[in-house]
Amino acid sequence: MTTLIVIDQAPYGSWSGREGLDMAFSLAAFDQSCALLFNGAGVNWLRTGQQPDGLGQKSVAQNLGAAAIFGVEALYADAQACQRYGLANDAIIAGVTLIAPDQTFMTGFEKVTFAG
Amino acid sequence: MADISLQTYTVVITGAPYSSQAPQTALDFARAAVAAGHQIDRVFLYGDGVHIASALICPPSDEPHWPRLWSEFLAEHQIPAVACVASALRRGLIDSGEQQRYELSAHNIRAPFEIAGLGEWVEAGTCSKIIYFHSGA
Repeated sequence: MTTLIVIDQAPYGSWSGREGLDMAFSLAAFDQSCALLFNGAGVNWLRTGQQPDGLGQKSVAQNLGAAAIFGVEALYADAQACQRYGLANDAIIAGVTLIAPDQTFMTGFEKVTFAG
Repeated sequence: MADISLQTYTVVITGAPYSSQAPQTALDFARAAVAAGHQIDRVFLYGDGVHIASALICPPSDEPHWPRLWSEFLAEHQIPAVACVASALRRGLIDSGEQQRYELSAHNIRAPFEIAGLGEWVEAGTCSKIIYFHSGA
């Protein structure tokens, strides 16, 4: 019965990922099971050492830190996308599970959605 | 061909009018669904989709007026429509309540749209099929 929210846009240049995160937090706040999947350029959300101060934006990695507290069940990342964007395992924030978003993985979710 | 059983849909629109086709495609879907006997239980505007609820959009007279066309469709079929409050406030879509709360000079929500929280979307997910119309970016 889990809803998977997919974030596939790089952070900071687009607001859709933040709105995806809000969807996940809302589901969790209403006790609905949900998880997040980062794929494509969205895996850059998971990079350690983000310094968005120069942009005047809040760190998305920090926003994401609240996911477990809100009750988001899991953070998944497409392992291949991480490789493509040069995200070595030690450059990924804690608590992320690397997966291949294939049919077997996706069919484990009742619903899959994007913020836009 | 098997009959398609009648469904209840929630329409979510995240693409803005005039910068994406999402509101137009969503309206075409909604009209076709209603014509075929399906129910639309609500329309939820999220992200840039909240601009559909603006009372101040003035396209040139030879272009479709998507906010007005949506309003007319919603009123005709008595379908409730909600713009996400967080998305709406960020983008300057304000109802009279938010105008007072933030001491703003105006409000600009087009009837019958209302402003509400993401809880409306969460609730929709528990009782109907949600169909999303994104900008495709």
